[in-house]
Amino acid sequence: MSAATGAHATRALEADIDKPILRACGVVKRFPGVLALNNIQLDLRCGEVHALCGENGAGKSTLMKVVTGQLQPDEGEVTYKDQPVRFDTLQDSEAAGITMIHQELNLVPHLTVAENIFLAREPKTGWFVDRKRMEADAQIFLDRLKVDIKASDLVLSLSVARQQMVEIAKALSLNAEVLIMDEPTSALTESEIDQLFDIIHDLRRQGVAIAYISHRLQELSRIVDRVTVIRDGGYVWTKPFDDVSVDDIVAAMVGRSLEQQFPERVSRPTDHVIFEVKNLSGAKNCKNVSFNLRRGEILGFTGLMGAGRTETARAIFGADPRLSGDVMLEGKDITVASPVDAIKAGIAYLSEDRKLNGLSLKMTVKENITMANIEAVVRHGLIDNTAEAQAARASVTKLGIKTPSIDQVVRNLSGGNQQKVVIGKWLFRESRVLFFDEPTRGIDVGAKFAIYQLLDQLANEGIGVVMITSELPEVLGMTDRVVVFHEGEVSGIFETSKTNQEEIMQYASGVKRMTM
Amino acid sequence: MAGLDSVTPHAKPSIDRKAIMQKFAALAGLVLLMIAFSLTSDAFLTVSNMVTIALQTSTIALIGIGATMTIITAGIDLSLGSVLALAGVMAAMAAQFGVPVPLALLIGVATGGVCGMFNGLVITRLRLPPFIATLGMMMIARGVALQITGARPVSGLPSEFGTLGNESLWRVVTETASGFPKIVFPGLPYPVILMAVLAVIMAIVLRKTPFGRHLYSIGSNEEAARLSGVKISKVKVGAYVLSGLMAGVAGIVLMSRLVTGQPNEGVAYELDAIAAAVIGGTSLAGGVGTISGTIIGAFIIGILRNGLNMNGVSSFTQMIIIGLVIIGTVWIDQLRNRR
Repeated sequence: MSAATGAHATRALEADIDKPILRACGVVKRFPGVLALNNIQLDLRCGEVHALCGENGAGKSTLMKVVTGQLQPDEGEVTYKDQPVRFDTLQDSEAAGITMIHQELNLVPHLTVAENIFLAREPKTGWFVDRKRMEADAQIFLDRLKVDIKASDLVLSLSVARQQMVEIAKALSLNAEVLIMDEPTSALTESEIDQLFDIIHDLRRQGVAIAYISHRLQELSRIVDRVTVIRDGGYVWTKPFDDVSVDDIVAAMVGRSLEQQFPERVSRPTDHVIFEVKNLSGAKNCKNVSFNLRRGEILGFTGLMGAGRTETARAIFGADPRLSGDVMLEGKDITVASPVDAIKAGIAYLSEDRKLNGLSLKMTVKENITMANIEAVVRHGLIDNTAEAQAARASVTKLGIKTPSIDQVVRNLSGGNQQKVVIGKWLFRESRVLFFDEPTRGIDVGAKFAIYQLLDQLANEGIGVVMITSELPEVLGMTDRVVVFHEGEVSGIFETSKTNQEEIMQYASGVKRMTM
Repeated sequence: MAGLDSVTPHAKPSIDRKAIMQKFAALAGLVLLMIAFSLTSDAFLTVSNMVTIALQTSTIALIGIGATMTIITAGIDLSLGSVLALAGVMAAMAAQFGVPVPLALLIGVATGGVCGMFNGLVITRLRLPPFIATLGMMMIARGVALQITGARPVSGLPSEFGTLGNESLWRVVTETASGFPKIVFPGLPYPVILMAVLAVIMAIVLRKTPFGRHLYSIGSNEEAARLSGVKISKVKVGAYVLSGLMAGVAGIVLMSRLVTGQPNEGVAYELDAIAAAVIGGTSLAGGVGTISGTIIGAFIIGILRNGLNMNGVSSFTQMIIIGLVIIGTVWIDQLRNRR
């Protein structure tokens, strides 16, 4: 806490640094079928780092989009420097001095750092770009951040951390008075985070207001002055960080106890091992992984970003090359060289990014459900429409997919229902082991509960369920055992009932590891 | 708990309905064109002119079907026109060499298939973008056709070589009092029958077979298809082989009509084929498209050419008009699809 206190002391020396700069009052934003923001408020002051906390889908990004003009509020008001404002585009808000650094960086890899910083605002001599001045100006901003990046470097040659610095330099060049950072540390190493925090401290001293979105609550203590918590699109509270604990924040974010968030488990683990992986190594971030899965249990895979959970699942599924190791289903060795082999053996992988890897959005519910097992509805080489429709309707009924018809295009369904369609696809294939990669990411809170119930139901039917998740409450609330990953290796395996959030975090961050 | 979930946005019409609307719009355009031309020219809406239009359109329609197959997978086949020429020339040379005509024609079609296979393998094995792979094939096939013929037409072919392109089914001819033959019904030209039969077969392949479904799923989301166990490489090679075969069929039909092997035939035909597919609602982004749409698209182009000819519009002006039609239809389509 000493860094924060130090910063407070410095700040006290500067006059009127605490004046409010950006305010959102009673903001309401509706999407079809979802109330995304419900009477939200936020006030940002000059020279403060203001954390915005909330679960996935709580409305943080939506709020930031409203503030930066990417979305227009249905009700409520945004005031900037005491004036009501309505930005029509991101460019308008940037011109006014509000800059957002997105989690996925918005840089053009094949251009230089200077070209990126001044993209679409290039200094010109006559009709031509004044390259010298552009690079000199860019270098001034880079030097202000005390980073060792040359303005003439190509962006693609920089690490993610350095690219982030370029984004910040770009924000500075826009004379940003409000800087919004979305999960800035998620891809950074410890020392890079230190460097980023130094820069944030500097910016704060210069009077910049910083809205800071992060899931890593532990690191907030090093930089944050105040916290606003939002939950399910609604405002919970705003408090000085020194007055609250991390537990208070978590409680406010979740808003209910674990028991209410998760259904009561029906399925009970047995001793019968249905699936086993021994010393598996993959080409990507998967080293010597061993675990087993018992009938009736839900096994969790957890770890920090880049810990190798997804890579392990993809190696098992044959989506990424596998180097060595054995995979056994019901005691029998299976060879998996490609997804086709895995699917034949009865293994399914439900990818992290449904829209990118899991669904064909342009195709119908029916076509998606039968995609992995179209042969089952083929008679004499042709698709049997009646059989296919029957199969699709059966899935829709069993999984409770809310859709006007099986011929509805999947793009038009809600996130939760899209997820159910993917599950339907693999159940129709009669898969025996299902890997769910972040199954509840980006879906409504209510729909999450339905997905949890479904996972439990599948486990109860004897299907092997592996749930990959970075949400620790989900691990604690839903799994029977949890495999913790750190840098591509298994650092620990625990009975969920005999562990806790802190222990899992220690293993996930590599502070401790089990000898296996 | 599923309260929020149950409120699915119903407002947006489904793509299916959009596809129907698209087809309907294209069909309505076709009908409007026919009405307009029949008002401006008496000779337009006659049986013999309709048969002529169908005959003229059959080539674009045949390679249009091929183009549809690859575009649905989010690919493209730029080699259609050149492969058409090579296939036709191969068939003509085989016939000239003394190979029985039916076999010579098959050799031509097979040549198209081989070119398509080459395209497919370059795309899947060497992992080159379809645009580049088929651009290469466009030049290779044209070069081979010119090389093996010495850039001269292959002539002196047996008369049966012209049967496929020039004769018709159910042609009714009577003799007038003065002794001249009078055509009562011009009959259905074989190329038109071939086009219709292949269109129906390909429509069934697309709509009713797992292979067809896989083409759509690859075009819609290749990674999702791969993770669902679709054998991406095989299916893609299949699409390009089919495309090549269609170019081969178009090639033998065209050369048969000319009763010579013309190595310079079919230049830029692939662009007509792509235009037909696009006017018919096939999306260049992949995942969307139908054979019926492409046939309608081909006929829109064919009728425009025929009708404008009859009205004495120069071929340069025709190009301008067809260009505007392509831009116009796709723009209307985009407007409809925009949220």
